[in-house]
Amino acid sequence: MAKILLINPTVREEDVPRHVPYGIALLAAIAMEKGHLVQVYDENAWRQGDETTKAVCVADDWDIIGYGGITTTYASVKRIARIAREYAPQAVQVMGGGLLTSLPREMMSWIPQVDVGCVGEGFITFPEICDMIDRGGREFWDIKGTVSRKPGGGLIMSQMRPLMHDLDSLPFPAWELFPLEEVYFKNSQALFSEEGMLASRRLDINASYGCSLICRFCYHLGIAGDMRYEKDANGDLNVAFDQPGTYTRDIRYHSPDYVGALVKHAYDKFNINFVGFLDENLMTMDKFSGRTWMNDICNKWHDLGFAPKAKDDGTWTGIHWSGTSHATLCTKGVLKTMREAGCSHLVYGYESFAPHVLKTIGKGATRESNLRSFFWTLEAGIRPVPNQIIGFPNEDFDSIRMNMNAWDDLGIQVRPHFATPYPGSEWFTTYRERISGQYDGNMERFIFDLGDASSISAVISHNFNAVELLGLREAMLQLNYRRIDEYEQIWRKNHQIPDGAPSTLLSENMTGAFLRDADKVKSAIKDSERQDAVAEVTGAGGTH
Amino acid sequence: MSNDVLRGNFKTRDKVEIKQAEETLEDRFEMEAKKRLGGSIAFVSKKKVMWDTDKK
Ligand code: B12
Ligand code: SF4
Repeated sequence: MAKILLINPTVREEDVPRHVPYGIALLAAIAMEKGHLVQVYDENAWRQGDETTKAVCVADDWDIIGYGGITTTYASVKRIARIAREYAPQAVQVMGGGLLTSLPREMMSWIPQVDVGCVGEGFITFPEICDMIDRGGREFWDIKGTVSRKPGGGLIMSQMRPLMHDLDSLPFPAWELFPLEEVYFKNSQALFSEEGMLASRRLDINASYGCSLICRFCYHLGIAGDMRYEKDANGDLNVAFDQPGTYTRDIRYHSPDYVGALVKHAYDKFNINFVGFLDENLMTMDKFSGRTWMNDICNKWHDLGFAPKAKDDGTWTGIHWSGTSHATLCTKGVLKTMREAGCSHLVYGYESFAPHVLKTIGKGATRESNLRSFFWTLEAGIRPVPNQIIGFPNEDFDSIRMNMNAWDDLGIQVRPHFATPYPGSEWFTTYRERISGQYDGNMERFIFDLGDASSISAVISHNFNAVELLGLREAMLQLNYRRIDEYEQIWRKNHQIPDGAPSTLLSENMTGAFLRDADKVKSAIKDSERQDAVAEVTGAGGTH
Repeated sequence: MSNDVLRGNFKTRDKVEIKQAEETLEDRFEMEAKKRLGGSIAFVSKKKVMWDTDKK
């Protein structure tokens, strides 16, 4: 059996570690189920620096060292790969996750220590890689879903790995291999609601994969049916993601029975009092299931006795929970049901309150549906977390003022993110040249630069540069309309745009391209009940 | 609670323990101050001070 070391790279160093890496926890459980010898080093949780990572690499004779995560783990992953090669030269290095999946060929060249990359979903690919290494084989190209090195140099992408549909056959994540008591439970607090604030033993679960929407700044890690394989400009097989007219999705979710059993396991074993649903968009699943999924999960919560009961000191018995919603896909009824089962807050990617901006982003939401869901959620007793983004391609002075008005009217306290073209998103593909131009043609520098979208990296706004966006955001936060009006005059003069004309430099062609799909998204949202309707938005084949 | 940073389904040849770096008063102050940054709060993060400005 192979001796496997899984390392969770450091992410978001400016904050304490708050989330057990769900993917790595599942892969650890799968590998153990297959009989392998597994250890986890959670570098992100311990934050002990390179000396400890080195000590971990020499602590045993590892056959495999695996690591991976989201795009912003890049710097950490690159460092781990270097240390692992030096201190555990015998180990085969396996990299996976959204970071590798969005740019597999680039990652293999920027991190030469990686022997094999797992492109997309790891549930089947990773154990197959482990088995091959255990047998002494190194022909990774025979395993679907890999990118590996040809013996004579160069890279081979094997066939694409189909997504797994029997999700309920997955074991529960190996939470016990992570420092729950020492690190994660101490950082359970989620400052988005009263209950979130008081959470003292939180674990996260991921009950579904995918989202039927096509927000152009969003990336689904290649595990939502969002990935295709195509020949790239060099004639090499490569990954491709959302592009106008080529949206694909494969909506998958665990059964409410599995979700119930998983939460019960977490409760019995770790005595949790809060669950964070990691799902990209709970409402997609609910709509897709014909409005049964959320309801059935909530019923499970009641059946298992987890629907919370408040105590006098503000704490509770049972389990509160939170998740992600969608302005157009949620209903008054489902929100009420969710609250009764203990939902405390829901994240809404409202992004903007300007109709002309909302039309171009692929969210299938309008100013009206944003406002409606906001009030429905509050009425249900759930706190909406109203995320905002500025710096969209057609952001202009009007949209900025509309957002400020909405924040003012709705009492929204927010520090908006900047529209950021993370690799794997449609806008990364559309604006690739422009992004690379902002980093002197060096795409790796862009990847290093990526962190929280609340800091600025590559700008995709046609109207504002980075400095303007930073200044505008500051004035927006202060609701300083006067400064914004004054700056608009300067901007108009600089760009020779007369008063009264729209304050935009975006060509009509480009706006038109974004709008064409907006109509599709709208009509599919309207009557999307099952996969066939989702397929209408995304062009994807049905699975359920 | 264990100080072992490696957790798994077998005993490793070597044990790796955390070097329980004691949080100093300086660390605590800087962390607390950072949370309140803005308004009239400003502070010096001592670890980031470049003492030899000629190096820049
Ligand atoms: C938890 C989470 C975080 C955590 C990260 C914690 C962690 N260590 O995982 C935190 C809070 C730090 C975070 C931050 C951000 N996140 Co986030 N996050 C998530 C979330 C909700 C869950 C991730 C997850 O567990 N997924 C489920 C598991 C099963 O998937 P997985 O981890 O990818 O693992 C699978 C494969 O990728 C692969 N795999 C993964 N690792 C490895 C390793 C090996 C060795 C192998 C073989 C395979 C493998 O196998 C697994 C099984 O198939 C996702 C949404 C989602 N539902 O996925 C967003 C998501 C990953 N985040 C996203 C974004 C945009 C962000 C932010 C940039 C947002 C922001 N505020 O600015 C920030 C970045 C901040 C920063 N400074 O770094 C995007 C995509 C990001 C990207 N480009 O990679 C996502 C997809 C949400 C979305 N749709 O917009 N996030
Ligand atoms: S609704 Fe959310 S998860 Fe879905 S595409 Fe848009 S941003 Fe991504």
